Amino acid sequence: MILYWYHWMTLSAFLIAIGSCFYHLIRLIRLGKPTDYSVQQGSISKAVIYSFTKAMSPTKKESAYLHLPTYTAGIIYHLGTFLSIFLFFIFIFDSGFNLTTNYILIGFLIISGISGLGILVKRTLKKELLSLSNPDDFISNFLVTFFQLATALTLFTNEGIIIYSFISTALLLYLPLGKLKHTIYFFAARYHLGFFYGWRGIWPINQNMKS
Amino acid sequence: MAHKSKYEVMRTLTEEKKKLGLEILSSHEDSKLITHLNSCVHCGLCAESCIYYKADPNEHYVPAKKVDIVASIYRRYNTFLGRNIPWLSKARELDDSTVEEMLDLLFGSCTTCGRCTSHCSIGVDINYVVRKGREMLSRMGYVPDSLNATVKAAMETGNNMGIPTEEFVDTIKWLEDDLKFEVNDENADIPLDIKGRDLMYTLNPREPKFFPLSISAMAKVFYAAKESWSLSTKMYDVTNYAFFSGNMDEANIIAQRMDDEMTNLGAKKCVLAECGHGSRAFKWEGPNYLKKKLPYEVLTSVELLAGYIREGKIKVDPDRLKEVVTLHDPCNLVREGGVCEDQRYLIRKIAKNFVEMNPHGTDNLCCGGGGGQLAMSEYNERRMKIAGLKADQIKKTGAAIVITPCHNCVDQLMQTNATYKLNVKIMTLAELVADALILD
Repeated sequence: MILYWYHWMTLSAFLIAIGSCFYHLIRLIRLGKPTDYSVQQGSISKAVIYSFTKAMSPTKKESAYLHLPTYTAGIIYHLGTFLSIFLFFIFIFDSGFNLTTNYILIGFLIISGISGLGILVKRTLKKELLSLSNPDDFISNFLVTFFQLATALTLFTNEGIIIYSFISTALLLYLPLGKLKHTIYFFAARYHLGFFYGWRGIWPINQNMKS
Repeated sequence: MAHKSKYEVMRTLTEEKKKLGLEILSSHEDSKLITHLNSCVHCGLCAESCIYYKADPNEHYVPAKKVDIVASIYRRYNTFLGRNIPWLSKARELDDSTVEEMLDLLFGSCTTCGRCTSHCSIGVDINYVVRKGREMLSRMGYVPDSLNATVKAAMETGNNMGIPTEEFVDTIKWLEDDLKFEVNDENADIPLDIKGRDLMYTLNPREPKFFPLSISAMAKVFYAAKESWSLSTKMYDVTNYAFFSGNMDEANIIAQRMDDEMTNLGAKKCVLAECGHGSRAFKWEGPNYLKKKLPYEVLTSVELLAGYIREGKIKVDPDRLKEVVTLHDPCNLVREGGVCEDQRYLIRKIAKNFVEMNPHGTDNLCCGGGGGQLAMSEYNERRMKIAGLKADQIKKTGAAIVITPCHNCVDQLMQTNATYKLNVKIMTLAELVADALILD
């Protein structure tokens, strides 16, 4: 396996991103969970599991079932991101897939990229969202969307690798700075929510039933 | 949208005040605050979960805006991007205009009901961030005057209505006379300041001031249950409006007074009257204000009443209420306090026709009176506009009686009833249980 300058560029960016993410993670771990002196009435572990599973269900959250198209686009967009991250390592190790698999992956990434663009357009056109947004929101969306599309391009033709390397480098260097940090903080948020509701016996929901 | 006229005489934000406010964002006891300040992705999907937004679909009321104003200040002073390229993430300076906007968003546009938190796509504890923002404003000396006045009354007189002790004792004495007459027993009493009883009962000051019959209702229930109990004349106020104002020092003092009085009376249980925020402020937040585990049991009157029936200590007439009844779930008791089923158990024991609102339980809609809104006359118009959502819910149930185990909610619902001409009765659980009691 030969590593060219663009491989080293993206690998360096990857290491910087990982290092920064670890910094955030370690800071969270060091600060730790809340100390609660009140009398615990529920199970934290059950509530945290609930927080990551049933509480995220589209049937439970108005942010999902009242916004099914946006929710669906968001899910596809995130799946596209995870796929792109997986393929990042495939490209580094110069592996590949057969033609059929390639085309399936390309197809999915184009759909997820379009989902990302759709979310970007919505952010621009909807007054409430535009008012809430800042340049970081647009840059983050732009980088992730084009990361996915560049991944699709590189699957299609090896000549896409240079563009891909620049986009993925930009994304990886930007990731720890802006709102893309939610990659780490999302998990902490779900944990804290589980802790809060679990301590008070509110989650999991069915646990609160008494005869 | 911001009611600028209220803040025209704006106190200048001094560097010292700014420092006090920013300290809230930079000191961390645990990872909760930085987690929630770094998690919002500005998806805006929280909007429809907010009663303010539902009543008036305006970008100003999107809950994420409340998180963002606090988070943007945090970014400005605590992150690389915020310090060096503030425009990129709209990291904001903490200045007079930011304070003005914070006041309107965090005090004037939020009841801290927490509904947005449970529906947030990420899981940002928006409620928690709002309260942190209020804490910042409080530290800097910016709390709406009317809310501050309520806290001040509690600090100076021991109760938020400023009821003098003599007046309180007089009220209790005539209620006691009524009780003796009602149960036909000269030994029936409403004990005051008796040490060594099993439980100390607390009150919402609205009860002795405006709804004394709810005190005699609980007294009748205690009589039927043969309970060993006492009120305190020194500290009976279950409320803690400093929980709303964000003044943690005052919240601490009020909680400490309750703890001191429990120790003084030597009771084994502290029973919190029907008050959402009051029960939350002492049962859940109080131990954390005081930084200690309380050496006695703390429970709400709802849990106590349900326990009485389950244990057979009181009997109620299942045919007592024939009208259609519905239940308004107080946010701090249910969604944030975990008491969701006991009130339903009680209602099913005394009412034949119980119809739930939609949504209900932990997904209820706030009545609009929470978060100190009832005390903040500056925002009356908004409060009554939101109340329209609750009015619609009530109408759809067809109920003649709306039950709610919270005196704050009672007040708001009574105003809603009048404004929207609902023609319903608003009642607490204690009143209904007492009415349905079968005495030996």
